[in-house]
Amino acid sequence: MPSTIPRRPVRSGAAVLLALALAATSACGGNAENASGKTVTVGLLASLSGIYQSVGTDIRDGFQVYLSTHGNKLGGHDVKLVVADEGDGAPTAVPAATKLIKRDRIQVLTGIVGGGSMAAVYPVLQQARIPFIGSNGRPALKDVSRVWHTSYLSNETGAAIADYVATNVNGSVYAIGPDYQGGWDQLGGFTKAFAKAGGKLANTDGDTTFTPFPTTKNFTPYFARIKASGAAAVYTFYAGSAAIEFVKQYAQSEIKDLPLYAAGFLTEGGVLAAQGDSARNIYSVLNYSPDLDNAENRAFVAAWRGDHDRPPTTYAMASYDAAAVLDKAIAATGGDPTPERINEAIAGLGRIDSPRGPWQFSQKTHSPVQKWYLRQVRPDGRALSNTIVGDLATVGG
Amino acid sequence: MLRLDAYVIPALDGVVYGLLLFVVAAGLVLCFGVADILNLAHGTLYAVGAYTAAALWNGGWPALLVGLAVAPVAAGAAGAAVAGLLAPVARRDHLAQALLTFGVALAGGSLLVAAFGPDDLPVRVPAALAGTVEVAGHRYSAYRLVFLVAGTALAVLLHAVVARTRAGMLVRAAADDAEMVAALGFSPARVRLGVLASAGALAGLGGALGAPIIGPGPGAAPTVLLLSLVVVVLGGTAGSAGSAGSVGSVGRTLVAALAVGEIQSLGVALAPGAAPFLLFGAMAVVLAGRSLAKSAGPIRTWRPARAWLRT
Repeated sequence: MPSTIPRRPVRSGAAVLLALALAATSACGGNAENASGKTVTVGLLASLSGIYQSVGTDIRDGFQVYLSTHGNKLGGHDVKLVVADEGDGAPTAVPAATKLIKRDRIQVLTGIVGGGSMAAVYPVLQQARIPFIGSNGRPALKDVSRVWHTSYLSNETGAAIADYVATNVNGSVYAIGPDYQGGWDQLGGFTKAFAKAGGKLANTDGDTTFTPFPTTKNFTPYFARIKASGAAAVYTFYAGSAAIEFVKQYAQSEIKDLPLYAAGFLTEGGVLAAQGDSARNIYSVLNYSPDLDNAENRAFVAAWRGDHDRPPTTYAMASYDAAAVLDKAIAATGGDPTPERINEAIAGLGRIDSPRGPWQFSQKTHSPVQKWYLRQVRPDGRALSNTIVGDLATVGG
Repeated sequence: MLRLDAYVIPALDGVVYGLLLFVVAAGLVLCFGVADILNLAHGTLYAVGAYTAAALWNGGWPALLVGLAVAPVAAGAAGAAVAGLLAPVARRDHLAQALLTFGVALAGGSLLVAAFGPDDLPVRVPAALAGTVEVAGHRYSAYRLVFLVAGTALAVLLHAVVARTRAGMLVRAAADDAEMVAALGFSPARVRLGVLASAGALAGLGGALGAPIIGPGPGAAPTVLLLSLVVVVLGGTAGSAGSAGSVGSVGRTLVAALAVGEIQSLGVALAPGAAPFLLFGAMAVVLAGRSLAKSAGPIRTWRPARAWLRT
C-alpha cells in the first residue's frame, strides 16, 4: 500500500520533538538484553500517537491478540515483544526503528502504518539484515528479499471490484479520489481494470478526478460536477478524516441517490462511527470483514471482543496474520530462529489459514494472493457494520 | 442555462462556508486587533466547541440547544485560560506569543485526543436537520441552509455589538489607543482577558454550529486555524493592527471570509484543475495588489530611482 495512509507535514515538528524525547528516555533506561537462548525478540513499529493513532493501535492490538491466544509463544519460543511509536511518518519512524534494532536487538520487525515510514525505515532494515513482516503500508521497493506484507498492494483493491462494477452498473461511473500516491494507486488500480472489463468513466476528461489532499474539506463542488456528468454510480477511495467528510457530505448532496462504490478504507474502523447513518448502503471492497464465517475468524473476533468494544479491522487482522506468519516460520527454523533463517522459512510457508480466509505470499511481490470481498454498510444491532454481500476476485502476485 | 445551473449549489455552499469562516475568524481578528495577540490556539478553541457540542448532542432538539449554549462557555473559559498563560509575555513581541500559543494548540490538541479518542466524533443533529431540502431544483443539506440563516444573524449581531454597545466602544478604543484606554481606568489585563474570552466564546460557538460541517477530530484545529489566518490576512488586519477593532474591520472580515468560501466552493467547481493553488494564489494576488497600492503606486518609488540614476 504505497502510502494509502499519507504523511501529514503539519505536526512533524512536534513529532520530531517527541521522537527525541522518546530516544532520550530509552537511552537512559535501556536494557539491551541479548536475543539469545529460546526467547525471540520481535519489534513492532506502529503509530501510537498522531494522525494514524487508531490504525497504529489496531496493529499493535492485533499482534497482541495472537500472542495472548497462543500462550505468548511463536513457533514454540517465548516472545519478547518490543513496541515502538512510529508517529506521523519518517522523522519519527526511523529513530524508533533504529532504537529497536540497535538497543533492543530485535530479530524481526513487524507493523508500520505509513508507506512513507516504511520507505524510510527500509534502508535501516536492509543494513541490519532483519526480516520485516509489514502489516499495512507498502511502498514501491526495489528488493523485497527480506520484506513481506500481510496487507495488500494499493492497486489491488480497486482491481478486485472493477469487474463487478462494470457488470452491475448500468451506465458510466465517476471516479474520484485524493491527490497523493495512495490515491493514485488505488484509483489507478480501479480504472485500469475497469476499462479492461469494458466499463466507461463518466469523468469529463475520461480520467479520474483527483482532489487536493489533505486540504479538500468541502466536496460539494465536486458533487455538482458528478451530477452534471450524468454518471450512474461513483467509485472512490478516501481514508481517515477525508473519508468522513466525503461520506457525510455525499449523503446530503444532490447525488445522494447515486450508488457509491469504494475501496473498503472509506468505511473501515473508527471512521464508520463518525459517518453514522450517512454511510448506510455504501458498497466497498476489502480483504476482510469481521462477519466472515470461518473458524480462524470466529476465534479472532471472539478474542478481540474480549477486551475491545469495537469490531476488529483489516488493520488488526493483517497484524494478527503477521504474528501467524512468524509463528509458522519460527517453528520451521528448527530451534534456531536467526533473522536469516526466519526469512528463509517465510519463503517456504505456503498456505496460511487466516481470519480473512486462506491466502499465500506471492513469490514475486512478497504480498498476499488473496480473495477480496464485496461489503455493504448495514445496521447490525445498534451500530452499523460492513456486512459481507459476496465474493469478488482473487488478486495478488 | 444548463451550465449555469450546475453552479447554483457550489455558489450557495460558498456562502455557507464563508459564514462559518467569518464566525471563527472574527474571534481571531478581535484577538489580534484589540489585544494585539497572535493567538495560534484559536483553531483549538474551535475544536473545544466542536467536541463539546458533539459530546452533548444526541439527535434531539433540547440537546442541540444545550450544546449550543455550553460550547461557547467551554471555549470561552479555554480562551480565558490562554489569556492567563499569556500574561507573562503580553508585552513581548508576536514571536513569543506565537510560540506560546502554538504550544498551547499542540498540548490542547493532545488533551482533546486523550479525552475523546483519536477518531473523529460522530455529530448527531435532529433528523429534520440531517436530511436534505429542495433548493432551486437541487438537493441541499438542510443543516447548511439553517446555518446560512444563523450565520447571517450572527454577523449582523456582531456588527451591532461592535458598532453600538459600550463593550464594542471599549474594544474599538483599545484597538485605537490602548494607553489612553488604560489612562481612563480600564486595566489592559482585564481588557485582554475579556477579549480573549469573547474570542474563545465566538470560536466555540463557531465550533458548535460548524461541527456538522468541519467535524470534531484531530484535524479540525489546524484546518480552521489555517483558513481563519487566510481570512485575517485577506481582510487586511495583519497590515494595520491599529484599525482592526473598527466597525469597518467586521465588514472586511466578512467579505474576506465569503471570498475564501466561494474560492473553496465555486472556484473549485469552475476550475477543478487549479484547486490545489486557488486559495493561496488568490491570497498572493491580493497581497501583491495591496502592497502596490500601499506604496502609492509605482510612480513615487520610481522617481527617486530615476533621480539617483541621473547623478
